[in-house]
Amino acid sequence: MPLLEVDRVSKGFGGVLAVSGVSFSVAAGELVGIMGPNGSGKTTLFNLIAGALAPDGGRIRLHGRDIAGLAPHRICARGIARTFQLVRPFAGLSALDNVLVGRLYGRAAGGRAAAVAEAERLLVLVGLDGRAATPAARLTLIDRKRLELARALATSPELLLLDEFMAGLNPAETATAMTLVRRLVADGLTVLMVEHIVWALMDLARRILVLSAGEKIAEGPPQAVAADPNVVDVYLGGAPARA
Amino acid sequence: MTERRWALGILLALGALAFLPLSRARDDVLNFVFLILLSITLAQSWNIVAGYAGQVNLGHAAFFGLGALLARVLWIRGTPIVVAMLAGAALATAFALLIGAPAFRLRGAYFAIGTLALGEILRTTVNNVLPEISTLPAATIAGYQLRHRYYLALALAAVSVVAVTVLAGSRAGLGMQAIREDEEAAEASGVGALRLKLTALALSTALAGLAGGLFAYYHISYYPSHPFGPHWTFDALLMTFIGGVGTLQGPVLGAILYVVLKEYLAVRWVDFHLLIFGALFIAIVLLLPGGLVQAAERARGLVGRRGRRPL
Repeated sequence: MPLLEVDRVSKGFGGVLAVSGVSFSVAAGELVGIMGPNGSGKTTLFNLIAGALAPDGGRIRLHGRDIAGLAPHRICARGIARTFQLVRPFAGLSALDNVLVGRLYGRAAGGRAAAVAEAERLLVLVGLDGRAATPAARLTLIDRKRLELARALATSPELLLLDEFMAGLNPAETATAMTLVRRLVADGLTVLMVEHIVWALMDLARRILVLSAGEKIAEGPPQAVAADPNVVDVYLGGAPARA
Repeated sequence: MTERRWALGILLALGALAFLPLSRARDDVLNFVFLILLSITLAQSWNIVAGYAGQVNLGHAAFFGLGALLARVLWIRGTPIVVAMLAGAALATAFALLIGAPAFRLRGAYFAIGTLALGEILRTTVNNVLPEISTLPAATIAGYQLRHRYYLALALAAVSVVAVTVLAGSRAGLGMQAIREDEEAAEASGVGALRLKLTALALSTALAGLAGGLFAYYHISYYPSHPFGPHWTFDALLMTFIGGVGTLQGPVLGAILYVVLKEYLAVRWVDFHLLIFGALFIAIVLLLPGGLVQAAERARGLVGRRGRRPL
């Protein structure tokens, strides 16, 4: 059984179908990428999986159990964590407290002392050693992204949703972030990532879905997807992507 | 853990104040300190829901009023005051939980406006249903002991400080602060926001109800609608903001400064003090959103510009 099954999921906003009948599945341990032009429904799809939005139709199953329409904190408790396209750390809290929220409210058990130790370990893992006491508002963009990742990891997810994690980073920072993501997958985490930086996605993911205007227009290994005429049309223009 | 240190300091100061009545202090001094102690409790109670959980409740007076109303009625009919106050607090909390679930469907400014309306509805209703002034029976007035009120106020202020200290260091307190900073991100991190907001509201209104009961025990005669007046809400708000919203020591420092300043200004300029406080509040929100606590931090130069402070 796949870890995540998205089955003909749709979501409309006032007559516009942001996500239209999208189906795919993610197996445990996979790193799957989602790409598509602006407005193609990537973030909406993430919001549906993470529970920030309820789908109008279709099913979303985790371990075979329907999670569509559950509140975000319940979905987190089932084992899905996310980061946000525009970083949203708890600005007034210290880096350590940010991660502690994830640890104390996520799926991990254990007391306060264990939680603090684990939060500190995660700060080191994402490269924020020495920043535990710094308020999140005073971190740089990449550090805030790292912090959000640590907060998501602290909830002990099985599936991590990364929404444009590399956006706004310079090439060196992007390389660092890629190494980090690879390491997480190597450690057994399943990752679903939306990414605009196509080369990074091609490099990381074994399988890529391409969305356009809310529909899935291609799915497959990076090279196959890149060569797909529909995808080329969507990215480079030309004839309409679908008949 | 600066909170622990502040808590210890504040509790020691409150402990020292326990000796004030023994020093044959004049009644006006005891009355003055009583007002500060009542203000600390009220400000601290508002701080829980607004400062920690980030939900600006502008109907706080409703819960102070409900506590005062029930405690007064029960006490005058012979219930021991502490029991009467606890009953008043229970009523305030029950009402809070009743209106909390629908009220928390409103976010931000809408929650603030909704709770403001709620407070005013309650005040008007009480004013219409109980228009007569409430005066203590002559026998009670004859045996009136200011010291009893003073010690009760002292105990309640200590309870409020301990409650906030425990909350601030707890899992629930951290979850509330996460909600204050970003409710959606908190939910995504596993925080069940509605339940925690209701918890904050329940704790906040229980303390406000107790403070209302203390007021009912202290005041010899007043209109039953008086404790429902919006100034109780805005006094708490001003004190908390002046001191430092979302901190343990802020509401305490704010309450002291506010009461002292208010007495001083009211003597000199009568009603002009309201204008002065209005201007002070605007200045603080614009220039020093972290209040006195932030000012002290800046002065010490330990912390530079702080991040966004919660409303």
